[in-house]
Amino acid sequence: MFNYRDYINFAESLLFLYEEGNPDKKELLISSILLSWIAIESFVNNMLEDFVSLPKNLFSLHERAFLLEKEINFLDSGDSLGTFELTKRKYIKLADKILFLIKKFNPKIRSFKGNYLWQNFDKLKEIRDKIAHPRKEDVFSIDTDQVKEAIRTSKDIIRFIATKVWKKEVEF
Amino acid sequence: MEIKFDRKVKEDTNIKGRVSEFLDKLVTLEKEINIPVIIFQDGKSGSYYIKCSISTSVVSDILDLEAKLEPNQESFKANRDLLLDHNTYIKMAKDAQNGREFNDIIVEYNLEYKPGKPLKVWGGQHRSKAIQESQGKANRYHGFKVFFGLTKKERTEIALISNTNIAVSNDTFDRIQEETFYGDGLRKWCQNIGFLNKNENFPSQRSKSEKITVKLARSFIVNFYLGKEKGKTLRATELDGNIYEPYISETGITLDSKYQEIWEKMGSSIWRKKDLVETGKTFYKLHNAQYKGVKENPRKIRNRKAFRNKALIESVITSWSYVAGLLQDYKARLKRHYLVPKTSGKIPAPLNAEEMSRFHHDQDPPTYRGLGARSSLKDRQRMAQVFLAKTIDDNNVLDRKLLNKAVSQVIGIQALKKGYTE
Repeated sequence: MFNYRDYINFAESLLFLYEEGNPDKKELLISSILLSWIAIESFVNNMLEDFVSLPKNLFSLHERAFLLEKEINFLDSGDSLGTFELTKRKYIKLADKILFLIKKFNPKIRSFKGNYLWQNFDKLKEIRDKIAHPRKEDVFSIDTDQVKEAIRTSKDIIRFIATKVWKKEVEF
Repeated sequence: MEIKFDRKVKEDTNIKGRVSEFLDKLVTLEKEINIPVIIFQDGKSGSYYIKCSISTSVVSDILDLEAKLEPNQESFKANRDLLLDHNTYIKMAKDAQNGREFNDIIVEYNLEYKPGKPLKVWGGQHRSKAIQESQGKANRYHGFKVFFGLTKKERTEIALISNTNIAVSNDTFDRIQEETFYGDGLRKWCQNIGFLNKNENFPSQRSKSEKITVKLARSFIVNFYLGKEKGKTLRATELDGNIYEPYISETGITLDSKYQEIWEKMGSSIWRKKDLVETGKTFYKLHNAQYKGVKENPRKIRNRKAFRNKALIESVITSWSYVAGLLQDYKARLKRHYLVPKTSGKIPAPLNAEEMSRFHHDQDPPTYRGLGARSSLKDRQRMAQVFLAKTIDDNNVLDRKLLNKAVSQVIGIQALKKGYTE
């Protein structure tokens, strides 16, 4: 299984291939953007997985539902009536997962959505969405600067999360 | 006082003059009691020297620990740097202060640079430093070999032979200390368990052996009792919400304090403790199964020493033993811990060493060598969780899923602890 470092390496390799003699192959840039995004997803999902494995009593019901990406259902019949259960899968956005992780481990942190890093993350999300969910009315172009920015943002976000949650730097 | 040449020596009046000057300026024991001093000559290099005894108070201020091969300014100190934080030096310095007498310290009498410190130390610089440090606390005679009139070539040869030593391993130190301070109980216990054959001793160097060392055997015992103690402070529901820190016994010249503590409390009765013997025998069964599993399946797993002896890697043996102690009062889980993990076509040996060696968490640096490969605290914490996680249910196999879960738990708990400190 690949980890976030592998995805970042793949993204950088594709960018290198494009720059070193394949200027007509835009698919290298498109893949590189997607891989930059996947690196963050891999990192965040694995981090959430670490918390899923902990004893249940260390998180509230809502937190566990969030970690497991499930919905909470109130039981009004059967032997467990009057209690809650975690049921069907509920999609949670990557941005929300990051917000949860940062706030959970830094209760006193103030909103960081206005900062430069988060704005870059939003930009990366926007371009990734355009690639992953194309529409004919979207005007879309891609160049190496955008790809470099995407890779840098991916690394910065991963570093930010690692220092806020683990209080540790990660190496690339 | 009389100065004589040894019968085999080619007499040299210049050398005799220098020896005479040395003895005029310095008080040696030989001078004090007026016994003849003999000038020897090294048959191989041709360099001249005398043997003499000089007291701490006389020699401390005239020893130069920065001897140079060339007495000019451009030449730098030739000897290695002193290792003053090394346990062996710390003990040496302490011993010197308690009156230890050192011998065969190799020096050169040379006034060409730093004449205030004419004895240039070529061999025994740590002993010399220890002597200097003991000044004012002890005043004993130390034995010196003092060279005179050396050429650069002779000086270089002396520097080289004085710095050639055959290192004594910490495992040898441990073996000597174990027998001296505690007798042969640990060795016999290991023979009884199976770690050592009948009449077999601990290895003198772990890297050349596949047997348990004194350090590992002590660590096994200490961790069993540390775990047992910890287990008594926890409720069953709390067992999986902690990070445990298995311990590695100190090695080398220092006696391990935790082992010593256990020994003081229990004495030789420790070797008859049924729970410890049962734990030891169970662990040996695991080690044996791992060893055979690797050795007999070369097509499925590389027959590497590190894989064969996975159970004897510091982080593995200490963690397994710690968890055995921890679960002594939790019989159902202890029973699972004592079961040798299942093997299969994919996992030919119970500790699944190859899978462990591939293991890598996102938090690990790219250079991480895998689970149970090192002795670091991080590795010990993770391995303890691996063994503990194995006892949660009856799925008695150390597969990738279990390894992931266990390490996730360690990292998750660590993050939670750090997170709430803000």
